[in-house]
Amino acid sequence: MTAPTADAISEISFKAKYKTNRNGPGVWILSHAIHQWPFILMAVLGAIGNAALASVVPIYIGRAFNEILKTPPSLSLIGRYAIIIGGSQIIRGLLQFGRNFGFEIIAQKIERMVRQELYINLLGKSMTFHNLQSVGDLMARATNDVREVNYMFSPGFNLVVGSLNFLFIPLFVGPTYHPALIITPLAFIVLYVFALWHYLTILNPITGNVRSTFGQLNSRLAEAIDGVEVVKGAAQEDAEIERFSDNAIAYRDASVRQGDVESRFLPMLLLAITLGIGLLHALLLLQQGAITIGDVIAYFGTLSLLGFPTSTSLFAYSQISLGFAGARRILELIDTENILDQNVDGYTGTINGKIQFKNVAFGYEEDEPNLKNINLEFEPGQTVAIVGQTGSGKTSLVKLINRTFDVQSGKVLVDDIDVRDWYLESLRNQISIIEQDVFLFSRSIADNIAFGKPDASKEEIIHAAKEAQAHDFIMSFDKGYDTVIGERGATLSGGQRQRLALARAFLTSPRILILDDSTSAIDSETEDNIQQAIFRAAEGRTTLIITHRLSQIRWANQIVVLRQGQIAAVGNHEELMQTSKSYQRIFRE
Amino acid sequence: MGFFSGLGAEKYDRQYSDKILFSRIIDYFKMQSFRLIIIALMIVLRAGIDAVTPVVVARGLDRVTQQTITLQFILILSGITLGLGVISWAANLLLRRNAARTIAELIRKLATDAFKASVRQDLSFHDYFSSGKIVSRITSDTREFGQLITLTTDVLMQLISSIILAVILFQTQWRLALAVMALVPLLLLLVMQYRNAARKVTREGMRAMANVNATIKETISGIAVAKNFRQEESIYDEFDDANQTSYKVNIRRGLILSIVFPIMRVIGGIATALMVYFGAISVTQGIVSAGAWYLFLSTLDRFMYPVMSISSFWTQVQTGLSAAERIFALIDADHSVNQTDDLKPSDLEGRIDMRHVYFSYTDDEPVLRDFSLHIKPGETLALVGHTGAGKTSIGRLIARFYEFQEGVIEIDGIDIRQFNLVALRQQMGIVSQAPFLFSGTVEENITYGCPGCQPKEIMRVANQIGDGEWLETLPNGLDTQVGERGSQLSMGQRQLVALMRVLIQKPSIFILDEATASIDPFTETQIQTALDLILSETTSILIAHRLSTVKSADRILVMQNGEIIEEGNHQQLLDRGEHYAELYNTYFRHQSLAYVEESKKYAKAD
Repeated sequence: MTAPTADAISEISFKAKYKTNRNGPGVWILSHAIHQWPFILMAVLGAIGNAALASVVPIYIGRAFNEILKTPPSLSLIGRYAIIIGGSQIIRGLLQFGRNFGFEIIAQKIERMVRQELYINLLGKSMTFHNLQSVGDLMARATNDVREVNYMFSPGFNLVVGSLNFLFIPLFVGPTYHPALIITPLAFIVLYVFALWHYLTILNPITGNVRSTFGQLNSRLAEAIDGVEVVKGAAQEDAEIERFSDNAIAYRDASVRQGDVESRFLPMLLLAITLGIGLLHALLLLQQGAITIGDVIAYFGTLSLLGFPTSTSLFAYSQISLGFAGARRILELIDTENILDQNVDGYTGTINGKIQFKNVAFGYEEDEPNLKNINLEFEPGQTVAIVGQTGSGKTSLVKLINRTFDVQSGKVLVDDIDVRDWYLESLRNQISIIEQDVFLFSRSIADNIAFGKPDASKEEIIHAAKEAQAHDFIMSFDKGYDTVIGERGATLSGGQRQRLALARAFLTSPRILILDDSTSAIDSETEDNIQQAIFRAAEGRTTLIITHRLSQIRWANQIVVLRQGQIAAVGNHEELMQTSKSYQRIFRE
Repeated sequence: MGFFSGLGAEKYDRQYSDKILFSRIIDYFKMQSFRLIIIALMIVLRAGIDAVTPVVVARGLDRVTQQTITLQFILILSGITLGLGVISWAANLLLRRNAARTIAELIRKLATDAFKASVRQDLSFHDYFSSGKIVSRITSDTREFGQLITLTTDVLMQLISSIILAVILFQTQWRLALAVMALVPLLLLLVMQYRNAARKVTREGMRAMANVNATIKETISGIAVAKNFRQEESIYDEFDDANQTSYKVNIRRGLILSIVFPIMRVIGGIATALMVYFGAISVTQGIVSAGAWYLFLSTLDRFMYPVMSISSFWTQVQTGLSAAERIFALIDADHSVNQTDDLKPSDLEGRIDMRHVYFSYTDDEPVLRDFSLHIKPGETLALVGHTGAGKTSIGRLIARFYEFQEGVIEIDGIDIRQFNLVALRQQMGIVSQAPFLFSGTVEENITYGCPGCQPKEIMRVANQIGDGEWLETLPNGLDTQVGERGSQLSMGQRQLVALMRVLIQKPSIFILDEATASIDPFTETQIQTALDLILSETTSILIAHRLSTVKSADRILVMQNGEIIEEGNHQQLLDRGEHYAELYNTYFRHQSLAYVEESKKYAKAD
């Protein structure tokens, strides 16, 4: 582990290739892009060259036309024009490739670096952050939003930069024939900018509406099909069809509105008018003898090149704005405050196992306390059962101990030292938390058990598995300890996953064990195994168990009953049977 | 990801003959024939204008070279050019407006029909086919089919325009026209080659992307664990590997995709150069006019892009049509539960008779054989037995979720096949093993089966359970949002809400497939209270997993291989010491207080 850099307070730091400016999505993207300057140079030069050489074709066709009208025309001169046209287009092909591939390289490189930056940042974020953030949301940003940033460069900027140059061709070529020929292209550019701006402002909210109506349709649809048994059981088929039908109509209407806006694409009309007026102007000049027929042809040809920027602007700009929105969302995530820090200079030492809560209050939101007035004291080696209904604050309570969360007021002490004064690594190394939903990596069972102690020997792993009553079911797999677990441990039951997590704990031998135990055993024999594993694991260390199991509650040294974030009762079984009415109720058959 | 999902064939898929498929598709367009006519007209109009505009300009040039030009001629020529452009824009506007409406309406209609069919399908259908794939047919496939329409209009326009232009070119000078047409096979060859290469690298690129996404998903889910054990570096390495690989693959993809337009550019440039030279020779020889020469030069490009889009059109048509086929297959899938009459019971007594019932899910595995059972009105019946004993099937047959093959099932003496299903199920309260909630508030979920129920009634029922204490555990009481599929509530709370649903509905028959999930002891006692309330008022069939439920039953049926092997109440059966006693020892023993008392032995045992 490296020491924290000045960059940000973080739980962990990796070296990135370069630092980025995170003051806003624009500068942030720019600070990534700037490192790709050789490719940007290549792409932009390609784009400019491509446009410039595009103008060669109409210009030389115009000259050839002038030549053919002469009597007699010089075929060798026309031949030379033909070679210029052919040669320039070959070079143009190369330049266009440079532009396309250049932007593609930039896009891929930036995608890779953005994803890496985000990922490193996520790794550095506190457990608080990860516990509060939904995996789905993180996934969306790390995959789709990063992709959008890629598309912003290719095809987004590729087409915008590539086509913008074309806007200027008639502006430069026109005046070479006659100064007045600058008027039409100039007017086009000005009006084009306005028309495009107008189009995009109207379109944006409408596409947003299309997306959201579709989202609504899709999520209710998925629920109705998933819950079809309830729909049928409650005889609500017709009501669901009605609801779907309404959603489908809303989506249809939104799509139609989008189609309407897209159909009135004004830049296209502008182009048609520009071509007509440009031709008129050139012919008038021809009539006056100010320019030649070849000039008219060349001028008209260059005006036609305006078609490229006009048609690409239908979607290239929205692509860029999508990329921008993606960048903003990624940056939001990166900038999310990170409250906890490692406290490298903090206290280190072997934990004895005494835990105290003094006047603790805690809440995820400032003014909504999940826990208040918590005063507790657990002695080293004790087993404590924490009971209460969902939302009573059980999980928050135990997660204050390893600083997954920090208290809002009051303090939590481990061995009489405030947890905030401990060196985070030393504290967490000695506290093991087994979550309700045990996460296993798609690696072998042995690797999963040895996750916290990568250098553990095979014997140690097997011993830990035996202690956790996991050895028998592990051996029932064909590959035993080498069995690779399906994603999220899909092939194992909740009880089996819990026992693998317990095996992990036996291996690392934490001083404090926190177990969020809500698995249920289908049969009594499995229950026997789980009981045995948990009782074993609790030996010789302070153990806090959030549990639904009556036997754990019955035999704990202390039982803490939580209700709506406060301690409703505390004591051992005999004491609570005397004092707590709701406690009595659960031990009544 | 998600790109290929929904393409997998399902058992209910069928092959439609082209004739039937097209007549089905045409049915969906029937209501919109007026729009279709406008679309067709506009396609032809736009294509015509596209083809004619360069011809107008070229003919104009011819006149300019031959005569002195008048102001009138200038105005007419540029007027026509401008007019054609404006008409083309207006035609495009009409085309797109109508296409957007046609497609949106088509998608709406297809999706609604598909949804209607799915939600009316038997439960057996939904048990068999994954909901994700059904959803994908209703949304993705319908949109895919919609895209086919857009694509068809585009390709048709390009095709018509190219054909008109080709005809004009051939009329102008057939030899030069032939030379232009020689480009087409060359381009076709190039495009075919390119498409093969592009498909390969795109597939590889997507695979690499999917791999990155999977790695991110796994490692992000595991970050909390990794942090717990300070193993961040090891998962970073895993991510970095996938990220670098994806980069390399996608650069290669970028290279292939970047190369095609430049190549076409080069071909186009060389072709233009040749046309400049050899066209000029033709002009000097008097074969074509200077204007015609210009026409050939300015239309060379026009044949390049249609070649590209038309060559990929056929695969896209096939994709679109098979999407349509999948949607129709979903709409047409057969039902197995069919009613013979339409009786609507107002109030059922709750007497249930099953006589000589044969039932199997598939042809070769009978679940119930010659099964008979009589349930008295108001009786509470618990079904116990190992998995696969047929307990759940009995509940499902009584709820008429599945069709049975032989025998009779009667409710209040009336054949179950004679009821109107909606009316029948309104008399039944059904709670499945994993209670399902819809996103919305707790109250909306409680009143799901009874949309007109009064808030007062809800509060009354809510307060019957532990003095309404359970409402306090919800942050906003009855207005608490339950989240998607009820994810914001605990399992126990979801069960409570499901039971409240039944309490409000006041059914005559209650069918419960009890959950096995573990629930905190306080919620457990509340669930028990709710259950007791329901049991006292209904005929109940309980597929029991909890000891307290079994004990509260009037009668316990022990089932094995679809047969009843023991019958009686808890104490009688336990005293007999046979099948039930064995089941008790396997499944229920650890739920007893006696077990709790002796569990301490594990702390000491070796």
